[in-house]
Amino acid sequence: MSTIDPAQTDLGITDPDPRRSGPLDRVPAIVIPVVSVLLAFAIGGILIWLQGVNPLFAYQVLFRDALGSVDGLERTMEKSTPLILTGLAVVVGLRAGLFNIGAQGQLLMGAIGAAWAGYNFTLPPLVHLPFCLIFGILCGAAWGSIAGALRAYRSVSEVITTIMLNSIAIALVDYLASRPLKEPDQPLSRTPLIAESAALPYIGPIPSGFILALVVAVFFGWLLVRTTQGFRFNTVGMNPGAARYAGISVKGTILLAMAVSGGLAGLGGAVETLGITGRFEPAFNIGLGFDGITIALLARANPLATIPAALLVGTLRAGSSSLQFQTGIEPEVVSVILALTLLFVSAPIVGKLLFRNRSIKQTTVTKGWGA
Amino acid sequence: MHRKWGLAAAAAAAALVLAACGGSGGGSASSSSAGGGGGEGDCPGADAFCIGLVTDTGKVDDKSFNQSAWEGALEAAQASGGYAKYIETVDPKDYATNIGQFVSGGYDVIVTVGFLMGEATVAAAKENTGIQFIGVDQFQAEEIPNLTGLVFPEDKAGYAAGYLAGLMTKTNKIGAVLGTDTVPPVKLFGEGYKAGALAANPSASVTLVYHEPNNAFTDPEWGAAEAKKQLEQDHDIIFGAGGLTGNGALIEIAKAPGAGETIFCIGVDTDQFFTVPEAAKCLLTSAEKKLTLGTKDLVLMAKDGKAPGGNYFGLTGLAPYHDTEAAVPEDVKAKVAEVIAGLDAGTIATNVTLG
Repeated sequence: MSTIDPAQTDLGITDPDPRRSGPLDRVPAIVIPVVSVLLAFAIGGILIWLQGVNPLFAYQVLFRDALGSVDGLERTMEKSTPLILTGLAVVVGLRAGLFNIGAQGQLLMGAIGAAWAGYNFTLPPLVHLPFCLIFGILCGAAWGSIAGALRAYRSVSEVITTIMLNSIAIALVDYLASRPLKEPDQPLSRTPLIAESAALPYIGPIPSGFILALVVAVFFGWLLVRTTQGFRFNTVGMNPGAARYAGISVKGTILLAMAVSGGLAGLGGAVETLGITGRFEPAFNIGLGFDGITIALLARANPLATIPAALLVGTLRAGSSSLQFQTGIEPEVVSVILALTLLFVSAPIVGKLLFRNRSIKQTTVTKGWGA
Repeated sequence: MHRKWGLAAAAAAAALVLAACGGSGGGSASSSSAGGGGGEGDCPGADAFCIGLVTDTGKVDDKSFNQSAWEGALEAAQASGGYAKYIETVDPKDYATNIGQFVSGGYDVIVTVGFLMGEATVAAAKENTGIQFIGVDQFQAEEIPNLTGLVFPEDKAGYAAGYLAGLMTKTNKIGAVLGTDTVPPVKLFGEGYKAGALAANPSASVTLVYHEPNNAFTDPEWGAAEAKKQLEQDHDIIFGAGGLTGNGALIEIAKAPGAGETIFCIGVDTDQFFTVPEAAKCLLTSAEKKLTLGTKDLVLMAKDGKAPGGNYFGLTGLAPYHDTEAAVPEDVKAKVAEVIAGLDAGTIATNVTLG
């Protein structure tokens, strides 16, 4: 029993190696997500059918509304944009062996940071927009770094800290939006509108934030696969012991990965504020970070695959209004489908995690004897 | 290898299920609509009178605003031989999209429920001048001819409830568990309650707690916890106001020992004896906005082209005592009825202002 067997530290979501021996590694990487989605749609179909509606008709309405017109496509792109970015945030974490459940909190910090930078300054458009985007990234990165530092220097599980930091972020942005950053002379807790110069423009019907998200996804596709930094992330994720032996700073890499992950989620929040909502309001942005987890697992931690995964989720969200209007189905059915997808796509991963935990216990025993 | 077979079987099952559903569900698709028009949910025709209702982020059975307004829309549809349909909003960013469904579906009247939808409703009304909009609980600062804000003097309803509480308390401590004070109607209820209680009983101590803005109306656990806290501190009459949050408080109070004998709760918006039967035991009354009546009246006015622009003030009052009828002394009932009449006539002022 070796302590550095990559097959056991791998969560089963990083790049599949054909030479590895696990039973799931022999099927192409695309099979699990596709089967998961189909199964979720099938069960969703049963729920729709129980409400007295033909599921094929319901799905047809949903997809026709989300994809069948310029308006629908625009809405689908709008809904998908932050999801691509939060999906990437979770992917970067997974690559470095970190399960960032905190994309929601990081996104909220980015969203309110960008809102503040957007209304508080008067700058030329070419300066103002990038400034707001970068400020949003920094807010998210700072929030992610808290969990990163606790993990790197105090070995506190990032799963726990990011969940707790979500709650803190929710309370903090509530406070900020209802007190210091509140738009004056009106009763709602929300920030003022951002300046025109900070708004993400539309290129025809295409939200420029969507293009930005695609570019970022491609960039991370290159960074994680083709660069030294990407190699560091992957190595630390697959095997911290080997990474340390190879001279990689494991602590530094963990901290950086959480900062980058938080920054991506923060960018998602910033793009949402600057492109869609124009201001921060606590009721906005609900669930975007959590959808990111579904998307990252559906994409099997492949940065480029977050694009189709986010588009799928965005399509479902964009089409749910028509689904309700035209068929009378409860809109929650879309959330049920997404939750089922997450369940199915993570089932093999959970299986591997359990397997890994058992082997770690055995490893400890071996270590004790060795010492 | 077992898992691979499992996957294959799962895929096959998925295919089967999809096929089965496709085969058997054929005739049921149009069950929810009257057919005709372009899409399935559209208004059935030009001569039909169609009412569309968009909920705030809540459901039409939320036992509060959305439900009362929807019942008003249904009653108006029955009275006018019209057709009513609703969309429940899940994400507040979809307000405009959901209103847009009814606009493109050719609806005559669109009812939007709740203060938070105010801006989206104003924008939609300005864009679609041929459609009458009714904004339930939306105060109109600016008059738009095809938009009527159905509003209520909440401070009066709260004052009446507080007056009753002030007369009924034995411990001289009364409380209230409320939605967020950033939403004016909630604050008016709360402050009106306090003013009424002190007018009836100047020596009473009144405790108001407001939820934080996020999830202010969907947090029954918080409502229950705050109600419990106030009960432990000897408050014997507690007002619960704020959607599911307030309902959570009422239901918790109904579970307390002495509920309906020495401990009472007061509901809000609608007669909560019917909407929250779990709280019936402790429910003294409800500080009522006649929301169903107001919505129905406005929709019927809109049918005749007589809905006014700007604001329309609906009626408020206290709901019947129901199960706690016997616990309220006759002289208290008489005094409260007198106060409600005075509030309606304008001879009693609540002196509540939003600061």
